[in-house]
Amino acid sequence: MRTLAELKSFSREAARILAREKDLASYEIYCATAEHRIARLNYTSDIPSRGLEEFKSLHADGFQLRIAMRRDPHEVGAASEAGDFTSDSVRDALRRARSAAVVDPHFPGLPSGPPGRKPALSEKSDLARVGDGAIAAAAWDVLDGAIAAFAQRSANDRYGASRIEHPGLIIGGDVSVIRDRIAIFNSNFAEVRTDESAHFNASVTSIIESLDAKGTAGALGESTAAMRRAARVLGRDAVRRALALSHGARPAPGKYRVVLGPQPVAEILNYMVMGSLTTGAFHAASSAYHGKFGAPVMDPRLSLADDAALGAGAIRRRITCEGIPARRVELICNGKLVGLLSNFYDAHRLLTDEHRAEKLGGCAPPKLDFAALSGYRLGEGGGRRFDASPGAAGTNVVMRTRGGVADRELVRAVGDGIYVGRIWYTYPINGQRAGDFTCTVSGDSYIVRGGEIAEPLAPNCLRINANIADVFEHPLAVGMRPHPATVWGSPEAYYVPAIAAGSIALAEVAAT
Amino acid sequence: MIGRADLFEAIEYLRREGEGILARFARSKRGVVYAALRFEVVFNRAGAAVGGEPRDSSESEGAAYSVSVHVAGPTAQVGFGQTGAEIGALARHPAKLVAELRRRLGEAYDRARFSARKKADLIAHLGAAANGLRVAQIPDREKVRDDIDATFRRDPRSLSTDELKKISLDASREVAALGDAIAYQAVAAMTELRREIFIDTAGTVVSQAYAFSQGDCYVVAQVGGGHQESYDSIGQQRGLECLSDGWRGELMPNPDLARFCVNLASEARELAAAPILTPPDGEVVVVTDPHFNALVSHEVIGHPCEADRALKMEAAYAGRSWFLRSLADNQLGKAVASPLLSACSDPSLDGYGHYRYDHEGTPGRRVMHIDRGVFSGFLNSRATAAVLGAEPNGSARASEGWHVPLVRMSNTFFLPGETPPEKIIAEVEHGYYACGHQIPSISESRENFRISARRIYEIDNGRIGRLYRSGSVIADSKSFFTNVDAVGNDLRLIAIPNCGKGQPMQVKRMSNGGPTLRSRARLKGN
Repeated sequence: MRTLAELKSFSREAARILAREKDLASYEIYCATAEHRIARLNYTSDIPSRGLEEFKSLHADGFQLRIAMRRDPHEVGAASEAGDFTSDSVRDALRRARSAAVVDPHFPGLPSGPPGRKPALSEKSDLARVGDGAIAAAAWDVLDGAIAAFAQRSANDRYGASRIEHPGLIIGGDVSVIRDRIAIFNSNFAEVRTDESAHFNASVTSIIESLDAKGTAGALGESTAAMRRAARVLGRDAVRRALALSHGARPAPGKYRVVLGPQPVAEILNYMVMGSLTTGAFHAASSAYHGKFGAPVMDPRLSLADDAALGAGAIRRRITCEGIPARRVELICNGKLVGLLSNFYDAHRLLTDEHRAEKLGGCAPPKLDFAALSGYRLGEGGGRRFDASPGAAGTNVVMRTRGGVADRELVRAVGDGIYVGRIWYTYPINGQRAGDFTCTVSGDSYIVRGGEIAEPLAPNCLRINANIADVFEHPLAVGMRPHPATVWGSPEAYYVPAIAAGSIALAEVAAT
Repeated sequence: MIGRADLFEAIEYLRREGEGILARFARSKRGVVYAALRFEVVFNRAGAAVGGEPRDSSESEGAAYSVSVHVAGPTAQVGFGQTGAEIGALARHPAKLVAELRRRLGEAYDRARFSARKKADLIAHLGAAANGLRVAQIPDREKVRDDIDATFRRDPRSLSTDELKKISLDASREVAALGDAIAYQAVAAMTELRREIFIDTAGTVVSQAYAFSQGDCYVVAQVGGGHQESYDSIGQQRGLECLSDGWRGELMPNPDLARFCVNLASEARELAAAPILTPPDGEVVVVTDPHFNALVSHEVIGHPCEADRALKMEAAYAGRSWFLRSLADNQLGKAVASPLLSACSDPSLDGYGHYRYDHEGTPGRRVMHIDRGVFSGFLNSRATAAVLGAEPNGSARASEGWHVPLVRMSNTFFLPGETPPEKIIAEVEHGYYACGHQIPSISESRENFRISARRIYEIDNGRIGRLYRSGSVIADSKSFFTNVDAVGNDLRLIAIPNCGKGQPMQVKRMSNGGPTLRSRARLKGN
């Protein structure tokens, strides 16, 4: 990876070159260096497997420049270049940006404003320096813990699992470290702005096919010590959870009272809600909250925010990928929609949209301001990409509650129903705006009877067909504490409570 | 120096020097049993317009590579390491390119060697409990040397960026002319030329080139209280001519980009005014069109036929496969569908998933998945083929130069039958006709699915009747396939530009499809 000093030095040199071009009204230079290292796990007791299937990494360095022409300030072009931080490459990119320029009547210019505070040294994660050995060792520790926990199962073996010749143990998942550094300068800034971050994400799934059981465990964090601690327990915990969920029941389809655990809440928020909480979605008339800005959209006990500087958050962003200081964005406050994630372009676009009154709705305050605090250029896996355009993305997404109760009280509130610990393949089946979703209950789930966890639920036997209103508008009860949760493929980290919903439709998935 | 205008020349440089680079690396390091290099250069032009106004345009040229090293440790345990990177213009400088490749080969080697050692330690520590940690030997194969050109009338590198701006803007303006019912619309067009080379220490050197051109349209329509979001793509392995003029290929025709976008937007407007489906309880007769069946073939045949998924390697991310429970307990040779139904993958066809060799240098070939109702085969890689005791069938592909290859679909589809689709519909006393796919959701081993359709019509006495929106088909997969009682003669492939798989996610292009089918399923509205 390039150092911050290299990125800053290049940004200054590129800015000098661009400043000399007389036909440019304004310009921006954005540099990013990113690395994603993944130790992918694959252990299968009855199929030859590698254990550490791959230890791989993806590296991407480059820059993107954006120019606006003096002859028409709405004439804007962009170009990017990988790997080559030289004056020649700046000139080549400038040629391509000129060639690509279009007159976009809605181009609002480039961001401006003060740079925000500089980070203290202690804010930097030591994962910025972690070597391959530590990541590989962590992955093997996960496997060691998982295989050892399964080998020790005979001590508490009510299903005779220890006597099964082909138990069908599967350990999958990965230990990943994502690091990135950026430098950005535009002609409105006084100086080059920089940021860097590093975090790990470890996720383990254990399936024991002979017992029709599945358990998961995961961790997010910012330090090598936290990664090592997690590695020592995640494999063990995933297997123990799977063993505790053996031979689950397969209930009949119908409408149920359901506790949705933190992972399902995170997954529903990720796929069904967050995309609707952007200025881009409101402008496109595709938000599930179309016409409801300023109105109640969730139960008043629920509040939702995105916080790039969350103390316990795994994702740290000091500035956005547009150079704007990253700050907390209140999205939903006591059930009311009060804010949106936005990049600079979409914030302006919605504010100047001639149909914004209809798109935002009658409860929108007369004086509107959508601060561009969420403009990130992210690639697959969540690292910052040099060649991506700014989108609107969250960082640490936090759901807090008023009047929340302990998780045991959620189960009690349900009475007779289902505890859903993990869902899978959650998609907006009728489009984002409709709010309808479907998914399968894939593991970590239980039957609830008489207000107590009664027995395991067989994985993958139920499909949820519901609407986001069923989950968030009138819950039976809400949990008091946010728990960390990750969603596969999502760049955000989630900190969310469990929620007890009064009526969720569950359809049967036939056993194979 | 290779030359600023000649990033593609880096491919030629590696064709001459790549084997030597790998051979010298392998000789210099203890325990290397295999090493491979894959290198790719991409030239891309794109344009986008929103609401009838220009939005964006780009021209980019990039280079990326992936190296893979297998190392045998002291106790013969093999470890595997990979590194991938985007290097862009650095590839124009041979000395820098070679230095970069050597550095990353060394990195991959260190990972593989460390992994081999840790695996040996774990086996020593856990003994028989770690029985799964044995790896099927990957058989040697004949070395392959080949060079495949791209097919296009208009070289993407010869176009001006203005052409991409114009084609997307013109299409967007035509959509805007449909009126206020179109609340939002975005059109994008791109054309690119890719050239790649694969080299390994076993003597294989294969280079391939592809042209891709693709158009995308996203529309939100509002009529009264109803709304409809629609998204679709057209694409060919050709130059921009397939978007500017349309494409008349037998399997995967498409109109020109403007016509495609207007058709999609007009349909969205019609759907926004249509009622939401209120389906009856219970199973009904369902006729599904080729576009809808593209997603069925993709999600319920293609993905569970990927051997890495079937062998549980994707269990933590994308689940398992209903075709294989274990090596001893699987559907090979067993009936999984009606005898009328067959399905295959075939990279030799002129579809969006066409290729000659996979990214391990294995020739691609047709793989039958379902042969007259009987399950008959998986897509595989060299490693997964060794586990299954099968021949490699050339299905290991990466979406970008820096990624590790995964087992992927190519052109995966249901084979056609003999019955005209009109007859299939005319025979239905009461049922539904699902046209065009929207969004899928499938269960963990793909044994159950819910796929929403763009349009659902009621069929009464063989006649297509009322149009509905927001309708989905839900079924258990085996039941749906077993109940197929008519297969049309109207095979179509549909370009699928965005299949996601892997950790980190790889978004791959392919095509899927089939003819019209008739079966039984449940329906759902909202």
